[in-house]
Amino acid sequence: MLGKGVVGGGGGTKGPKPSFVSYVRPEEIHTNEKEVTEKEVTLHLLPGEQLLCEASTVLKYVQEDSCQHGVYGRLVCTDFKIAFLGDDESALDNDETQFKNKVIGENDITLHCVDQIYGVFDEKKKTLFGQLKKYPGKLIIHCKDFRVFQFCLGYTKEEEVKRIVSGIIHHTQAPKLLKRLFLFSYATAAQNNTVTDPKNHTVMFDTLKDWCWELERTKGNMKYKAVSVNEGYKVCERLPAYFVVPTPLPEENVQRFQGHGIPIWCWSCHNGSALLKMSALPKEQDDGILQIQKSFLDGIYKTIHRSPYEIVKTEDVSSNFLSLQEIQTAYSKFKQLFLTDNSTEFWDTDIKWFSLLESSSWLDIIRRCLKKAIEITECMEAQNMNVLLLEENASDLCCLISSLVQLMMDPHCRTRIGFQSLIQKEWVMGGHCFLDRCNHLRQNDKEEVPVFLLFLDCVWQLVHQHPPAFEFTETYLTVLSDSLYIPIFSTFFFNSPHQKDANMGREGQDAQSKPLNLLTVWDWSVQFEPKAQTLLKNPLYVEKPKLDKGQRKGMRFKHQRQLSLPLTQSKSSPKRGFFREETDHLIKNLLGKRISKLINSSDELQDNFREFYDSWHSKSTDYHGLLLPHIEGPEIKVWAQRYLRWIPEAQILGGGQVATMSKLLEMMEEVQSLQEKIDERHHSQQVPQAEAPCLLRNSARLSSLFPFALLQRHSSKPVLPTSGWKALGDEDDLAKREDEFVDLGDV
Amino acid sequence: MPPRVTFQPCGWQWNQDTPLSSEYDFALVNIGRLEAVSGLSRVQLLRPGSLLKFIPEEILLHGRDFRLLRVGFEAGGLEPQAFQVTMAIVQARAQSNQAQQYSGITLSKAGQGSGSRKPPIPLMETAEDWETERKKQAARGWRVSTVNERFDVATSLPRYFWVPNRILDSEVRRAFGHFHQGRGPRLSWHHPGGSDLLRCGGFYTASDPNKEDIRAVELMLQAGHSDVVLVDTMDELPSLADVQLAHLRLRALCLPDSSVAEDKWLSALEGTRWLDYVRACLRKASDISVLVTSRVRSVVLQERGDRDLNGLLSSLVQLLSAPEARTLFGFQSLVQREWVAAGHPFLTRLGGTGASEEAPVFLLFLDCVWQLLQQFPADFEFSEFFLLALHDSVRVPDTLTFLRNTPWERGKQSGQLNSYTQVYTPGYSQPPAGNSFNLQLSVWDWDLRYSNAQILQFQNPGYDPEHCPDSWLPRPQPSFMVPGPPSSVWLFSRGALTPLNQLCPWRDSPSLLAVSSRWLPRPAISSESLADQEWGLPSHWGACPLPPGLLLPGYLGPQIRLWRRCYLRGRPEVQMGLSAPTISGLQDELSHLQELLRKWTPRISPEDHSKERDPHTILNPTEIAGILKGQFHPFWITRC
Repeated sequence: MLGKGVVGGGGGTKGPKPSFVSYVRPEEIHTNEKEVTEKEVTLHLLPGEQLLCEASTVLKYVQEDSCQHGVYGRLVCTDFKIAFLGDDESALDNDETQFKNKVIGENDITLHCVDQIYGVFDEKKKTLFGQLKKYPGKLIIHCKDFRVFQFCLGYTKEEEVKRIVSGIIHHTQAPKLLKRLFLFSYATAAQNNTVTDPKNHTVMFDTLKDWCWELERTKGNMKYKAVSVNEGYKVCERLPAYFVVPTPLPEENVQRFQGHGIPIWCWSCHNGSALLKMSALPKEQDDGILQIQKSFLDGIYKTIHRSPYEIVKTEDVSSNFLSLQEIQTAYSKFKQLFLTDNSTEFWDTDIKWFSLLESSSWLDIIRRCLKKAIEITECMEAQNMNVLLLEENASDLCCLISSLVQLMMDPHCRTRIGFQSLIQKEWVMGGHCFLDRCNHLRQNDKEEVPVFLLFLDCVWQLVHQHPPAFEFTETYLTVLSDSLYIPIFSTFFFNSPHQKDANMGREGQDAQSKPLNLLTVWDWSVQFEPKAQTLLKNPLYVEKPKLDKGQRKGMRFKHQRQLSLPLTQSKSSPKRGFFREETDHLIKNLLGKRISKLINSSDELQDNFREFYDSWHSKSTDYHGLLLPHIEGPEIKVWAQRYLRWIPEAQILGGGQVATMSKLLEMMEEVQSLQEKIDERHHSQQVPQAEAPCLLRNSARLSSLFPFALLQRHSSKPVLPTSGWKALGDEDDLAKREDEFVDLGDV
Repeated sequence: MPPRVTFQPCGWQWNQDTPLSSEYDFALVNIGRLEAVSGLSRVQLLRPGSLLKFIPEEILLHGRDFRLLRVGFEAGGLEPQAFQVTMAIVQARAQSNQAQQYSGITLSKAGQGSGSRKPPIPLMETAEDWETERKKQAARGWRVSTVNERFDVATSLPRYFWVPNRILDSEVRRAFGHFHQGRGPRLSWHHPGGSDLLRCGGFYTASDPNKEDIRAVELMLQAGHSDVVLVDTMDELPSLADVQLAHLRLRALCLPDSSVAEDKWLSALEGTRWLDYVRACLRKASDISVLVTSRVRSVVLQERGDRDLNGLLSSLVQLLSAPEARTLFGFQSLVQREWVAAGHPFLTRLGGTGASEEAPVFLLFLDCVWQLLQQFPADFEFSEFFLLALHDSVRVPDTLTFLRNTPWERGKQSGQLNSYTQVYTPGYSQPPAGNSFNLQLSVWDWDLRYSNAQILQFQNPGYDPEHCPDSWLPRPQPSFMVPGPPSSVWLFSRGALTPLNQLCPWRDSPSLLAVSSRWLPRPAISSESLADQEWGLPSHWGACPLPPGLLLPGYLGPQIRLWRRCYLRGRPEVQMGLSAPTISGLQDELSHLQELLRKWTPRISPEDHSKERDPHTILNPTEIAGILKGQFHPFWITRC
């Protein structure tokens, strides 16, 4: 193949322990310089993007199974991204690249996506930061979206190496000012050609109308009102301009402690109980102030305890639940499991996979979040209580828990528009500090806590367990998580709505200029072609059925229930003979011990939770009703698509979800055409033709990593760790080489 | 009736169609634990010396197949019976431990008793079966040998097997004597591209074969190929004891009252090592498939006993390489050939004899197959439920398939040997004149225990044979096969090929009989450049990186999963809502719509009729989980 030096790395578990050997040595590389220069790839710059530095004849390693290839090209660093311009892009010009990101190419790393940079100095791997005295021969970049890039700088001119390495380090790691974010240069330059998707109905919650609409939708408008007391952020910069509070709450109260201590409405349940949040009052030493605070809070509680409000239960999510520190530690351990420099390294961790996974406790944290959300759901749904979430700023775990509760209780949040509105409401307007939590400005590493990623992972568990309940797919969640690091969207690049508005250019020196028009991430057409967007939509999602049809279906299902296969023994027993109702008794007898470990609070709470959880799971699932996740040990899983997608070994050719998908789509088409036929007959009216996602149609054998890791797709090979194993199909040479087989010497 | 505990629900009726079916059937041998519960007291009754001192409110039967049967006695004054029933189970269970071998049933089903009943799957007990299968595989260089017709070469071998054309039966007999327990090299599977997969026992090192014998052994191993790879099957795979221990641990972990905390579940699972063993098997099978496919050669699986891991690997390799083996029929034939006929000691391995060599190798195999099913959902005709049914059948004492250690014992019992030996066989078999063994039922007679609706669910709705671009025909495809270099002999071990000097251990110096003397690899010559070591596939495999039909499974830690529907059946909180089989939901929808359409249009062309299904026989597999999932109709509304 063109310009590729092919080198064997030790494959298989028995291979040599990986050290950071540079696998390719200069003399081993056979490359056709002429062709490289002919196929120069041009650098695509976004509006406002500027080239900062570049280096030529950089060798990028392409990881394939146990081998590594090198591809020559140019490494450039702009104020938006690091990009490698090689020649291997042309090879991918086929159908499967339809799922292409229009903003971020395969070999592009946005500056905010860089996690760690390592240099290899004489086979030793070191983290790179600050001013370098010596420049490495090889550069390894770990990305926040789990890609790992390795660049060999051995053939690059020393001057260029210095420039590119220090450039990359400076632009990705040095603290930045907010004003220097690429977001602004992009918005300024692209002022006139911003595209807005006319179909984008995501509620942004930046107007009073949006909040009223939400109140009306959830029937919360009887007891709660939207207020504009914070218009222009007069009262508090942490709160959005508009928000919702209990109707009898005097507006002066909001101003009293700059928005602290005020119950802010999140969502109302169909039975009238509501989810509220409150940021804690500042901690004070002075008894006098404490007294004032206490009486203030008493007043507040009196307001919301009174009829028509339900009993309020306060959940303090900043104590006794999860600390941000825990999340940070767990995630940094967890991500290391997937950031591997070569295949061999992955093999090494593999034997102890489960215990490594467990020791990161990331999955356990997910379980705890889901459990907390179920507990709150139980209070609201079964006990008809209001729940008040309490947190220091009400902007981290509050956002997480309240969003999860709404996802479980409100089917609207499981549509794509609903989910986007939810994130907009709870996270963006809720003042989650995306800028600090993602450490976009590299100002304080300690503040970097992946709360939002934790949320997406929790959502993934729900999507994975109940796929038909969600209009979006796991691919949607994956690309959403990737969008956290693309600084052309304003959504995830501010700490609060106030900060965004303050930087929109209104305060600039020339007041004449229009305010900047920032893109929102919900405009998916910026990143993906319509064809690729079909992969974000779950073809199996069912919208709420019409009532009569629902009843008919229900009858039919009931009838069939008695025919169930005996394979699931303890489950299928109906109420006949000696058998009892399974759910309550069995669980009390057998599982009391287990479930009790899930709950460390009072017995009563434990019972309520258990009963609620078990009775829900023993009933049939209504995808348009309450939805609870399973939280037992075996049920919390690794979000494989996000974490494993760049690891070639994790790919199953012709297997995985994709294989069933094509079959599914085929059947769906048949169903659709039959439906149409029936409708024609029945109503003699035209039914709008549905557009079936066609990305998978022509795919005979895609890999399980689809739609990601297209990079590896064309060159995947059977993994047979070999020594003395060669030149199959190369008949001419066989005779000559008969005696030259090599073994690794470990037999 | 065979020894079992069964529960018959009120209104339960003997079903003519499925005479042995009961959802609540527990073979006595299957009972792993029996607990009686009354109030807060709870007694384990199968421990020696444990006594029941109270009238149980309910009893819990923990199956060794991970099922759980819970019977409550409270209602309706059943106390006296409760005690009796419980004690009866305990006693019966104790007696069944005394190695009473049940002999299987040979009842003739109503309507089938005409004597000409054909088994649903060829049982590989006749020469015709072997010949048919040989032709199907187009194994031209092979013939059916009758040398073991009277089981005098080896009782653990089937009466017929395949040997190379050119080898005489007398040579076969002599050559087989030099293998452990007389299990010499036989063909397992002929790759349509030309390669042969063989299996054999270990070389019997104490024997002293003459030159001709060695020549015969070599010819049989070579099978007409110049390139021979010996695969040490035991290498890198768990020992029998390992498998048994892992399975016991897994069972303990999956018990409903297992005391593992949720946050320690993963490491506890890892601690059982079961998944690790599954992984090792898949990995090795994947490697061997590549060996078989990548060029024309003879690949010999060698295991000392040739009755455990050889069967496992050979079956897995066929599943990976032959689409035919992934059909329902093909898979059952495969199990019948590579496990049942090949003499896997089912009875011992599943603990039926109480011997120490218990090890559920077959269950390990089923788990591997389940992993493949997960990874390649469109490539298998059978479903997870079929695998579960098979899993649950291994201890059901209805048929002899899994109740004997060797084909000889099985044949003896079913009376087919009466013409050869005058052994009196007690039990239920009363051989009528003539074709007595035709009435012998096998586990493949699914309709004995499962209703039609259930058997329908053995089909994988997602099966899509056209999934692979070229439909695979068992014809030679020499296009991607290249002839190997002359007389090269390799040992495949630890994931690598090592050249060997010779095939058999006896040849040069009879004094150096120790296996190691000849298994030493040639000294390495490291002159080759690194680049040459790369696995170079023949270039004409082209853009599609794998030859059609070949599956290469993933076997990394995150890819190997726990078969929850099987192992966690005893834990209701886990099994609820295990799945929402969307494809079957769609299929259901489809048949419903077709039915509607038919109602409204009395005249439909005959082609349309062929597509329709009888709405009454369609069972919605969502019911397996007992949960109503999803309604799939308004698809056309969803789009906006």
